[in-house]
Amino acid sequence: MQVDDTLLSKLENLSYLKVSDDKRAEIIAQMDKMIAFVDNLSELDTSRIEGSFAMSDTATRLREDTPFCDTRINDDILMHAPRSDEHFFIVPKIIE
Amino acid sequence: MFEVIIGLEVHVQLNTKTKLFCSCPTSFNHTQNTNTCPTCLALPGALPVFNREALHKAVMFGTAIDATINRTSYFDRKSYFYPDSPSAYQITQLYTPVVEHGHLMIDFEDASQKRIRINRAHIEADAGKNIHEGDISKVDLNRAGTPLLEIVSEPDMRSADEAILYLKKLHSIVRYLDISDANMQEGSFRVDVNVSIRPKGEEKLYTRVEIKNINSFRFIQKAIEIEVARQIEAWEDGVYASEIVQETRLFDQAKQETRSMRGKEEAADYRYFPEPDLLKAVVDDAMFAAATQIPELPDAKRERFVQEYAMNAYNAEVITSLPEMARYFETMVALGASAKNSVTWLTVELLGRLKNGVTIETSPVRAATLSMIVKRIEDGTISGKAAKEVLDYLMEHDAEVDAVIEKLGLKQVSDSGALEKIVDEVLLANPDKVAEYRSGKDKLFGFFVGQVMKASKGSANPQSVNDIVKAKLG
Repeated sequence: MQVDDTLLSKLENLSYLKVSDDKRAEIIAQMDKMIAFVDNLSELDTSRIEGSFAMSDTATRLREDTPFCDTRINDDILMHAPRSDEHFFIVPKIIE
Repeated sequence: MFEVIIGLEVHVQLNTKTKLFCSCPTSFNHTQNTNTCPTCLALPGALPVFNREALHKAVMFGTAIDATINRTSYFDRKSYFYPDSPSAYQITQLYTPVVEHGHLMIDFEDASQKRIRINRAHIEADAGKNIHEGDISKVDLNRAGTPLLEIVSEPDMRSADEAILYLKKLHSIVRYLDISDANMQEGSFRVDVNVSIRPKGEEKLYTRVEIKNINSFRFIQKAIEIEVARQIEAWEDGVYASEIVQETRLFDQAKQETRSMRGKEEAADYRYFPEPDLLKAVVDDAMFAAATQIPELPDAKRERFVQEYAMNAYNAEVITSLPEMARYFETMVALGASAKNSVTWLTVELLGRLKNGVTIETSPVRAATLSMIVKRIEDGTISGKAAKEVLDYLMEHDAEVDAVIEKLGLKQVSDSGALEKIVDEVLLANPDKVAEYRSGKDKLFGFFVGQVMKASKGSANPQSVNDIVKAKLG
């Protein structure tokens, strides 16, 4: 995968983050390295491994159906959202 | 001639108390975003923990449709980017769903049946809701993470009527199992329809078009009919290949048309892969034993009503269509009313009086009360006509049946002394008719009974009046 300025701009857009101009070249280089690092995994032969393979063979834990919700947490999250109003998250208009 | 091919996908919202992967309550009408937490808001590091009850209910459904229950199933991640899903993916079951290869029977009016195969039922998390307003959209994530059971049929239906029969049967099964409110208007029973056509006799499947989110049986019927007409017209005009493409369409009820929602060039790439945050979902022996013990289903109940109460097929169908209705009927019978009269008083008299959105569940007259009214007819205390007045009164007031009979003065006079007096008066007032009767004009018997009933203002027990008049005229 080619990491370039266009891709970085797209990621900034998606992540609500702003990368300053003087950091761009450095970050692009780092991301390139990260992807190269993860690419090491493609050396593994996974052709005989089931898609459902997991590190643990135990079943997922089941939770009892008992409600609990601390509304202070979501108040806090909404407060930190880029935009919120009347306890709604506000996002740019979605074109259907 | 064309054959219509219909397959249905139904999203049923499971009525658990908490969400699928976190403990947030699933109750609605709460202030927006108050039923949310780091898990359903997809904050980094928050992990899903699977709700036991959702799995239990899915197994119940699988049992009801005679399906294979996968004691081990897996979750998969379906990526899509939209503000109603803060994680930008949905956790679902693509490769190994919990329920596979089931079926249900649909019933036609002539009592014949057809088997509709159900390919699968899988568990997945619902998305939140967006409200569009000017140049912004408001996002409410109270619904995000609510458990859904997506039930996918095989393309086994051949008409809009068959599709509706299937949906009604499915709806009824879900209600009987009590695994969902299955309220179509509120979106807890959402239907997507896949429709295609092909020349009769061909085996090949042609292009299927999906119509999404139609919220009533009537509109689904209409949407299918309109879409089928559009496809046939395109075929006959020789433009089928260019006009009919695999796409999602919306049904516009006002314009009575289906309209393209997104074209195939925008077909989403969901990048499915096994969900790394969850291990396999296992139905252990204890859960399997408990969840496969399901309540009596509508078909079995209908059969039993026909056998046990000598009910006709139509009435049995009406009474078993909703579990609340069946329960109401069975309570009436258990409390001593006859099955025959219970059917009439429930389906004709009570249902006829339920108006303005009042349902059998919210009826002001409960089963015990209606049962008592029927019993009071059956023990001769009141006439059927008087019983209707009692019911009318009780639709408006909360009171005891016997007290209402007393208050409205509807008690039938069975006391022979009082009745004899009235009969004597009637006979004395009509000497000529008495003479005619005695000389052989039998038809006048009804006249005397009628006069006595009238004189008693309808309060006389007709059977007693019959007996006394017969005896007096000797």
